[in-house]
Amino acid sequence: MISSIWRPIKEGFRGVFRHGAMSISAAIAVTLTLIIISLFLIFTLNVNKFTQGIEQSVQISATVAYGRESAEEEDRISLAIQNIEGVDTVKYSSKADEFQYYLDSFSDEKTREAFRPFEGENNPMHDAFYVTVKDGKMLESVAKQIEEIDGVESVNFGGSSAVALIQMLRSIRVGGGILALALSVLAVFLIQNTIKLTIMARADEIAIMRNVGARNGFIRSPFLVEGVIIGAIGAIIPILFTIYGYKYVYKLTGGYLISAMFRLIEPEPFVRQISLALLLIGMVVGLIGSFFSVTRYLRWKR
Amino acid sequence: MIEISHVYKKYKNGVNALYDINLSVDQGEFVYIIGPTGSGKSTLIKLLDGEEIPTKGSVRVVGIDVGKLRHSKVPVYRRNIGVVFQDFKLLPSKTVFENISYALEVINMKKDLIRRRVREVMNLVGLDDKGNSFPHELSGGQQQRVAVARAIANRPKVLIADEPTGNLDPAMSDEIMALLDKINREYGTTILMVTHDLTIVNRHRKRTVCLEHGHIAADLEEGGYVQHDQ
Repeated sequence: MISSIWRPIKEGFRGVFRHGAMSISAAIAVTLTLIIISLFLIFTLNVNKFTQGIEQSVQISATVAYGRESAEEEDRISLAIQNIEGVDTVKYSSKADEFQYYLDSFSDEKTREAFRPFEGENNPMHDAFYVTVKDGKMLESVAKQIEEIDGVESVNFGGSSAVALIQMLRSIRVGGGILALALSVLAVFLIQNTIKLTIMARADEIAIMRNVGARNGFIRSPFLVEGVIIGAIGAIIPILFTIYGYKYVYKLTGGYLISAMFRLIEPEPFVRQISLALLLIGMVVGLIGSFFSVTRYLRWKR
Repeated sequence: MIEISHVYKKYKNGVNALYDINLSVDQGEFVYIIGPTGSGKSTLIKLLDGEEIPTKGSVRVVGIDVGKLRHSKVPVYRRNIGVVFQDFKLLPSKTVFENISYALEVINMKKDLIRRRVREVMNLVGLDDKGNSFPHELSGGQQQRVAVARAIANRPKVLIADEPTGNLDPAMSDEIMALLDKINREYGTTILMVTHDLTIVNRHRKRTVCLEHGHIAADLEEGGYVQHDQ
């Protein structure tokens, strides 16, 4: 029984080395594919993290119109906002708080002093509600609904440009996904051809195996192992590329891009997870390629 | 053992190979199938070992309807039949012993049983001392004996020999014939032998089925076909 497990593995390794040049060329195809997939994964996962960060940090501010600042009116507005679907928290901020916040944004005492006359009765600020949403995707629809509430003067959500950026990154991600998929198909095709050559080289042996009653699975298994090995070999360089490349970039940028909002994912255990994914993708691609190849050959003859 | 009834075979390329073939072979029989090139002998063998499916009619071997087998079941069916070819089809990189044991490894037989069985059949075909030789170190007759040993290692009920003496000189041919005879007698293996070597057919008389243009032209119990148009 044990020998029936080791046989395909042994034969598979033998096949890889017997057709070294072909194996290498197929492995290179896998390598290129996996490098693209690696870039794609790193990009996508980081964009996901940016997106989450931005969406969580973005809040909607709704200002109350001047004539409607009585306690009852504001309670009503607050309740109306809370009743909108997707709203997470609502925080009230009085015009005095708002003014203080505005003043605090200046660091020099002189400017602050210049604004003093507007304190108290002359405060030009509005009372405001700060609203966070449960899901960043609902930002726009929630903002629109708040705007329609009677007594709300204006609605603002900062970072509308950030949202547009996320949108753009998302489309790049779709493009990258299509590219990665197309390359995977190409790699499957190349492995299929490599295995086909191996099969041709062993056609006599296969014919004899069929004649003496070897099951299809018995004939197929060494070739599947061979495909998996080629896929795994092809994954070596992409894995090194991912581990050292990402760590290097992380170190070079100090862990974030442009601003603190775009914080990169920590290299550990991120690179190890990506490497594992690459290895698995490589092996699956190899498996599929050789499976197609052998099955087609076996089906061709009874 | 073998029941072929109303079998027609037309290939996809339009070639009609067999017309309304009816043939019944009992357990333990030894039957020659003779006929000129293109008479349908090879097609008949392919129908028997499941490589081709009859266009019409049925081919039953050891109770199995060969034409109706699913693709994945064909290999298991083949364990019931042994096939010997004109060109031996031995693996050049394996020794005699390995060539024979290979046929048993493929069907997952236990190692110690394989070793015993291989020695047994090597003794039967008279190659006890050639276990470690490679096929190219053997004569044609010896190579064919290895092929026969491989074909019967699995104790098949039917042995199909496709021109087994085609590449051999008369002396070696007689050697192979004696071997097939022995297997037929001692094991009761049903043997179908395709040949166009009339010397053999006339010297070792057996039931003889003669194919011509896809029809059975004659089926002689006593054998010894002499008349031949070519």
